Amino acid sequence: MDPQLTEVSQLFERFKAACVREDVDTGSNLLSKLKVMLTGFRSLPPLFEDTPNAIHELTLARDIYEHAVLLSVKIGDQDAFERDFFQLKPYYTDASGRLPPSSQEYMILGLNLLRLLVQNRIAEFHTELELLSPTALENPCIKHAVELEQSFMEGAYNRVLSAKQTVPYKTYDYFMDLLAKTVRDEIAGCSEKAYDYLSISDARQTLLFSSDDELLQYINEEHPEWEIKNGVVIFQKAKESAPCKEIPSLQLINQTLSYARELERIV
Amino acid sequence: MALRRKLKAQVLCAFLNFALSPGSEPHNRLAAHLPKEDEHEMEFDTATSVSQSPVKHPLPELEIYCYLLVLIYLIDQKKYSEAKACSSASVARLKNLNRRTVDVLASRLYFYYSLSYELTGDLAEIRGNLLALHRIATLRHDELGQETLLNLLLRNYLHYNLYDQAEKLRSKAPRFEAHSNQQFCRYLFYLGKIRTIQLEYTDAKESLLQAARKAPVAALGFRVQCNKWAIIVRLLLGEIPERTVFMQKGMENALRPYFELTNAVRIGDLELFKSVAEKFSTTFSSDRTHNLIVRLRHNVIRTGLRNISISYSRISLADVAKKLRLDTANPVADAESIVAKAIRDGAIDATIDHANGWMVSKETGDIYSTNEPQIAFNSRIAFCLNMHNDAVRALRFPPNSHKEKESAEKRRERQQQEQELAKHIAEEDDDEF
Repeated sequence: MDPQLTEVSQLFERFKAACVREDVDTGSNLLSKLKVMLTGFRSLPPLFEDTPNAIHELTLARDIYEHAVLLSVKIGDQDAFERDFFQLKPYYTDASGRLPPSSQEYMILGLNLLRLLVQNRIAEFHTELELLSPTALENPCIKHAVELEQSFMEGAYNRVLSAKQTVPYKTYDYFMDLLAKTVRDEIAGCSEKAYDYLSISDARQTLLFSSDDELLQYINEEHPEWEIKNGVVIFQKAKESAPCKEIPSLQLINQTLSYARELERIV
Repeated sequence: MALRRKLKAQVLCAFLNFALSPGSEPHNRLAAHLPKEDEHEMEFDTATSVSQSPVKHPLPELEIYCYLLVLIYLIDQKKYSEAKACSSASVARLKNLNRRTVDVLASRLYFYYSLSYELTGDLAEIRGNLLALHRIATLRHDELGQETLLNLLLRNYLHYNLYDQAEKLRSKAPRFEAHSNQQFCRYLFYLGKIRTIQLEYTDAKESLLQAARKAPVAALGFRVQCNKWAIIVRLLLGEIPERTVFMQKGMENALRPYFELTNAVRIGDLELFKSVAEKFSTTFSSDRTHNLIVRLRHNVIRTGLRNISISYSRISLADVAKKLRLDTANPVADAESIVAKAIRDGAIDATIDHANGWMVSKETGDIYSTNEPQIAFNSRIAFCLNMHNDAVRALRFPPNSHKEKESAEKRRERQQQEQELAKHIAEEDDDEF
């Protein structure tokens, strides 16, 4: 086999071992070295040349990037995830005809969808969704992300949080935690407008805190305008508009002047 | 179009023999694509042409036109692989030509080139070629070619659902006044599709409706597609299209699934929506609108909720869940969160009483006592005035064509009349003094 190829494979084995050990520092170092070595291969994107070892090199590179993606999830680095995922994508789309399908493909695609949802990039979420074939949409990982997005849009937040229990893989936990935080902010915003007041226990339940202290802390930090009286949280409603409102005179004057000007133009 | 129906092998052979001298290279290449059914006639033709004027220098335009005719003939005969070969040859030939007079023919050729590849399912192959051609057209300031190629590229990307790349190309490509109405319609349609997927429904609605309006009446299939997407976008925006949209001539059958879908959304019934979506799922998948239909579920719930909030002053959340037919594990809690979100988004005007578990709708109040009518009137007035200004601006360019048609006689007559009028006015002035 190609000496370069063997070297890369050995380094890759060490990298995998580091990941299993949860040794992120060694893992990151080895990953950077691997990426530099991968630039030596000419059969990888964007060149896609047809060298004798092409299939082997492509498979190896794809595995390396998949592990890189999973490592970035472990570290919790979303930028690195995005970078590695973009490098991984050509392997799934363009090279899919030449390589055997990867076992982790759907899991990583689902992770990406989840990441876009957490970052509130819904337009890109849907664009990515369009790229998936109908068979891909049946896969549990992808289905999980799609149903999550639906529940999020509809506002059934309790379904979102209960979906946390049904994650297909453990790696999803990181994003689910972030999602929980976003959901909590949303629920708080909705509750503000929808309820006049809520008892402390109800508020705790809706916002999904485990104890009253956490709830009080959250309110103090995020929503100081909520009042707490007699064990009841009172949301500040917008002041009812006074019966005699001011006439927006400036606006009316501007409008009338523009009408006069335009009418003047009509010969 | 009438010519297209008359294209037959013999007619084409005869034309090729007439236009291009028989022994020449382009003739051989093109004639190779035509079926050698009438061997006898071919020989007869060559015999006669030899006796005619020996050498003809064909104009390149004539050659390209011949290519175009052969290509159309092959596509009509469903000989797609041969059409592919012919079109690739023609594009290679076009790259060498740099004449503005060929541009119009060239753009039709590009279109059929892309069509022949699409019919054989190989669109991805020509993407690089189309991009190179677009570059060349831009360099040569061939605006019609640029337009056509941009549309072909967008169609290429959208065929494979690569909305991201399509948008990137569209935003960076140079834009200018549309030369051809048909190309502009196509561009608006592709733009509308991209915007729909990117969740920008207002822009999408504008583009799609404009495309449907500008399209020529004969382009029924195109208008049907535009209307399908326009209906879905309007549903996603929360407005219900009128019944007349579905009853347009020739489109009733095609739009039937969408009509039933609109019904389900209008009533706000989730069960009906689900059954309609399942019933017509094949139609929706072939139209590639399946993902958009899934997004409509949220709208169905909203509409149902709005109906409930208007009809009831106070209703328990359990009843809300039952009426909405939410079929989930915990309907009451779901209903509560959905109602809370709807209130936050401003879709309904109500409050929730958590302790008693019911929803209280607020009084709608008298709208006429607020500024709402004033604002609505203002927007309508501004629109009319804008339209008037645009019309006046469009009128400013004098119709140049009429001036040329004026013959010498008429001009003399007119000048005579003007002179007489001037004399008349001068006399009047004199009289007054």
